[in-house]
Parts: sequence; C-alpha cells; structure tokens
Amino acid sequence: MNIRGAILLIVLGVPSLALVLFGPRQTEEVPAERMVLQYWEKWSGIEAQPMKRIVARFNETVGADRGIWVKYCAISNVEQRMLIATAGGDPPDVAGVFDHVVPQFAEQGALLVLDELVAQHGIDSVKFKPFLWDIGVYQDKVYALPSTPYTVALHYNRRLFREAGLDPDDPPETIAELDECARKLTVYNDEGRIVQAGFMPAPALLGWWHWVWPCYFNCRLWDGEKYRLETPEGLEALRWLARRRHETGIGAALDFEGTAGAIEGTQNPFISERMAMVLQGPWVANWVRSFNPGLDYGVVNFPSVSKEQRNTFVSADVFVIPKGASHLQEAMVFLKYVLQQEVMEELCKEQCKISPYVEPSPVFFDGHPNPHIRVFDEMAMSEYAFGHPQMPTFKQVSKEMLFMLESILQGVRSPEQAASDTQKKVDEIVADYNHMAERRRIAEGAR
Amino acid sequence: MACRRNSNLIRGLLWTSPWWLGFLLFLAGPMCISFYISLCDYPLLQPPVYVGGHNYKTLMADPVFHKVLVNTLVYAVFAIPLGTMMAILLATLLNRRVVGQALFRTCIFVPTVIPIVATGVVWLWMLNPRYGLINHALSMIGIDGPSWLASPGWAMTSLVLVGMWGVGSPVVIYLAGLQDIPTALYEAAKLDGASRVRQFWHVTLPGISPVILFNVIMAIIATWQIFALPYVMMKESSGPDRSTYFYTMYLFDNAFRFLKMGYASAMAWIQLLIILALTGVVFLLSRRTVHYRGA
Repeated sequence: MNIRGAILLIVLGVPSLALVLFGPRQTEEVPAERMVLQYWEKWSGIEAQPMKRIVARFNETVGADRGIWVKYCAISNVEQRMLIATAGGDPPDVAGVFDHVVPQFAEQGALLVLDELVAQHGIDSVKFKPFLWDIGVYQDKVYALPSTPYTVALHYNRRLFREAGLDPDDPPETIAELDECARKLTVYNDEGRIVQAGFMPAPALLGWWHWVWPCYFNCRLWDGEKYRLETPEGLEALRWLARRRHETGIGAALDFEGTAGAIEGTQNPFISERMAMVLQGPWVANWVRSFNPGLDYGVVNFPSVSKEQRNTFVSADVFVIPKGASHLQEAMVFLKYVLQQEVMEELCKEQCKISPYVEPSPVFFDGHPNPHIRVFDEMAMSEYAFGHPQMPTFKQVSKEMLFMLESILQGVRSPEQAASDTQKKVDEIVADYNHMAERRRIAEGAR
Repeated sequence: MACRRNSNLIRGLLWTSPWWLGFLLFLAGPMCISFYISLCDYPLLQPPVYVGGHNYKTLMADPVFHKVLVNTLVYAVFAIPLGTMMAILLATLLNRRVVGQALFRTCIFVPTVIPIVATGVVWLWMLNPRYGLINHALSMIGIDGPSWLASPGWAMTSLVLVGMWGVGSPVVIYLAGLQDIPTALYEAAKLDGASRVRQFWHVTLPGISPVILFNVIMAIIATWQIFALPYVMMKESSGPDRSTYFYTMYLFDNAFRFLKMGYASAMAWIQLLIILALTGVVFLLSRRTVHYRGA
C-alpha cells in the first residue's frame, strides 16, 4: 500500500470504525414480559416531544401494571404506510392520522369500528366537543377518536392596521369589510410590485384547507350524496376570489406569492410583516415565538359573507386502530390513557392547539403558548362549524379544488367556467366511485 | 447424447437461475398481476373486482389523463433534442485536450450525483421571481424576468431547462463514444480538406450514432417517467393550468392517494405501450442513420 492509500485508509477507516464501535445506539429497551404495542404517528420534532413523554409515562405507570409497552414510531406519510401495512397483514396497533382520510379508509375497510371498544373502555363521548367527536364518526359508526384539534382563523397584524388608519380592535367581520381592509393594507412600490399585501387567498400561503372559500359564503359542499360547488353561494365565493385577484393585479400577486417559501419560517410574509392578514391555525404562535417574537397580531374568526352566520373551519388529528391490528384491548387501554383530559390537554397545549373537550380545564388556558387560544377554542363550539367533506373521494376532490383555485387566481379560467368544469369533474369522480362500489357489492354478493 | 444435452440444459438453467428466477418473481410476475389489476377495481385493501375494460374506457374520456399525456409529450419533445444536443456539444468540448480538462469533466458530471430533491429545492430558489439568481442576472441586462413556475407559459420551459442540469450522465457516455472514433478517420477527412464542421458532421456524428441511439432511447424512457423534479418543485400543485402535471405524477396520485390501483395499473400499461412504440419508431428510423463499425 502506498502512502496515499494509507492516509485514505486512516482518514476514512478510523472514523468509520469509531462510529461503529462508539456511535449512537437505540436506547429503548423493552422490559421482559411486556407486550409491545406499535403506535405510528405522523408527528416528528417538537410536535412529537410531548407525545413521546406521554408514551414514556404510560409505559412507566399503566403500561407497567397491564404489561404493555408502547413503541412510538414517527412515520412520514403515515396514512399510505399504514394502508400498505394493513394490506400486507401487519398493521400497527394504533395510528395517528388526519381526519379527512377517515371516510376513505373506512370505506376501504382499513379501519376498525370502535363503538363497542369505546363503550367497553368507558370513553365518554359527551365530554368532547360534539363537532370534534363527530369527525371520527362515519355513517353512524365510530372509526376514529379525536386527538389534537384546531380551528383556522383570521390572523391580522395590529401594527399594520394602525399604520393604514384602521382600528386594530375592530377587525373585519364580513367579506366586504375584509376586502375594504385588504385594499387599504396593500402597498405597491414604484415598479408596481407589492411590498405589503393586505390579504391573499393563495394556496402557497395556506395549508391543506385551500378548498374552504365557498364555505365562508354559506355553501355546504357535501350533502352526503352530491358535491355542491356550482350553487349561487359557491359561485359567489369564486367570483369573490377572482375579483380580489384582479383588484390586486394577477402579475403583482403571483410575483409576491413567489417570494413566499416555507410558511413555517421567516419566509412566511405574515411572520415577516409583509402581509397584514392570513387565514391560519393556532400553530402560527409557535412560528411567531421562534421568528418574530415582537409581532403584534390579533386573531378573530374569519369573516363570512354575513355577520349573522360566522362559519368556522374545524379539524383534528385522530387516532385509529387499523383492521387486522392484533392487540385491540391493549390499544384501547393506551388510547383511554391518552384521552384523559389532563393528558390530552397537555399534548394539545404543547402542540399549540385547542382542547377537544367541551369544558377545557382552567389550567389549559393558563400559560398556553398561544395567547389567542380562547378565540380558537370558542370557534370549535360554533353552530356554524364545518369540517372536511366526509366523502371517500375527498383526496381526489381536494386536488380538483386546488386546481380550480389556482386557475382562478392565475386568471386562466373565469369563476363560472372553473365552477362548471370542477363540478363536472367531481360529479364524474363521485359517479365512478359509486359505480365501482355497486359492482363491488354485486361481486361480493355473488361470492 | 440426448441425456447429456438434458443434463447441460439443467445445469445451464441452474446456473442462470438467479437471473431468471428474479425475472419471473420480480418482473414478469408483477407485470402479469398488474395487467390483471388494470382490468379490475382494486382499492388495495379489498379484493380486486373484475371490471373488464372499464378503466381503459374511463381513461380515454378523462380530461386530466389527456392533459398529462400532452404535458409529458411536450416535455419529451423539447427535453430530448435539447438534452441530446447539449450533451453532444459538451462532450465534444470536454474531449479536447485543454488545461483543466479533468476539472471541467468533473464539473459537468457532479450535478448528476446530487439528489434530485436537493436539485429541486435549489432551482426553486434560483427561479424565484424576486430573489432568484436567474431573474437577478436578467435584470442586470435590463430584462424583467417572468414568474417562472407560476405562469402557464413559463412553468414547462423552466422544468425543461432545469432538466438540462442532469445532462452529465449522457455526456460521459458520449465522451466514451467520441474517444472510440479512430483518429485515422479524422486524418483522412483532413487530407480530403474537410473543415472542423464537416469533420464533426461526417465523422464524429456517424461515429457516435450508436451512442446517440442508446442515449435517445434512455431519454425517451426517462422523460416519459419524469416525476421527482416536478413533484419536489411544484409540491401539491399541478402547476398553472395543470401545465406541470406529468403522466407518472397522475399515476402516482391514482395509486397511492386516490387508492385506484386498477386505474393506475391501466395507466402504467398505456405508458409501457407508448414507450415501446416510441422506441420502435426510433429503432426504425435508426436503420438509415446509425452506423455500426464493422457492420
């Protein structure tokens, strides 16, 4: 071996050997005679920390008494992986998923019906906010239990309101008032570029709730049989989107939105105070604390078309037990532990979310990291709350809605054309799904 | 005699079994199953239900399918010739004996070893309409750069241009092809008074024509399967007017988001047929244009 080879061997070989010998080891050791319960969850990083702590506490207390050891596995794309594992016959015992997949997975037979287990383990549905409990109910059966819930609300920059001559204590309540505020808060430079945006309904500045706009115009999109976008309310919403866009200037708006990178950081124009109003969830408080602690902002229910009916989007992460899971009773023992009010509220608090309970405990609000949490929490009790449409084809429909929104905002299609095209496409999706379901029923009947 | 032949056959099959067993189990078998599934409604967790040609019929009437088909075709039409020309040009330049030749070769090849996700994220910022390097460079010569990924006219162009970033792999193959051309041919062409351009046209291109054929076929397969780059750069969006929604992305959505495995399998079979047909056309065209030495 020449000198160069020897040096290379030392430079690469020694650290590799050291890594193998002294590198990190998996520290979790399962005590003897404990049954291992696989818990797959989508949370990682700071969202996972409180849940990991709760799992550790369970393993030390109830788990020790009942001979259960919960293994927390942070899994990306947890729904897809859970589904594939279920199809392969080796699902996790408990999984944490998004609420909008419940109807789809329930229809596919991927989820266990929990009614009997819930009754058997004494989990009391009455304690939960009714809307949040119902999120896990599909066709009168309980398929999922609420985990950390949230509402989305209008966040507005109080300083920018003051500078624009608006009263920060009198935020907009109707869509018309929102438009008026947005107009006053939008500032262009000499080149016609937006330097400060009032409000933008662009998907890049939202999250997975890009489809909600018609709901703020009193449009209920899914009636259990038909998706109803092409209605007077739905069309009014789409015309509003187009009007807002044309007023802002399509080119200027696209240019501004292009500067928004990851919304979880300083690139978010609301956090960097380049945008005055945004429709977001309670986690914004975490971003503000991390990236702009001095941001003076307020939170109110997002304006609706009328003051009388203030619509509110409510959603939650949920726990499910996949069909084929082998430790049902143990899974329910764990879920019952997590769903105790003090435990669940500890989790919700640390994740900056609202309480799933009708009556949050006083300590929940004390020291909550989100100073506006009471606003978010009250919104979840609204009689005008709406959630994801409980349709098994929602993922496909959501994609169509995203395309529709983008094409309106980019001025590619008129609101009427977009509504008509999307309605037609969604009708086809639903009809095709029903057709296939009918063929499946016939085939299963023949077996 | 027959006994010995049989024994040889068995021994041959035994020694080649790792390949043909793998082929049967991991390619031929799944392909047959996928074809059967394309004739079924199969949402993964329930048994497949035979629906005949329903998936194929629905695909023919699906406007999104038409859109992704056209998008992928447009991408291929621009990306393949552009990529081929660029790769040949770069390979020709890199084939010249100049100072720092190894460094230039490394620079061209390095982008191909960078993960596509990293490439996508970097280009996302490079193409940022306000803060991106591309528009900044354009502004220095007085051009107001467009919203690359947000405008229907530019989104596809941007992806084609970003795709050129990975041109290093074919460059290496072209380089090997160029080095395989006998210098005697160039000397003969020079003696005949051929200029550099004529040498390139009449010696270099015919000399590397089998390599071009290989690279074009690989490019056809790759462009019809384009997925990762637009998936990273466009995220959930299908691009303005669905202009950056490609065939494999729609296939992926159907399979793993909408759980329509039958529909996705039908799409996969159509994709295979398209690639086979295009490859066949290229082979037919290559009969006149590709020159094999010693043939």
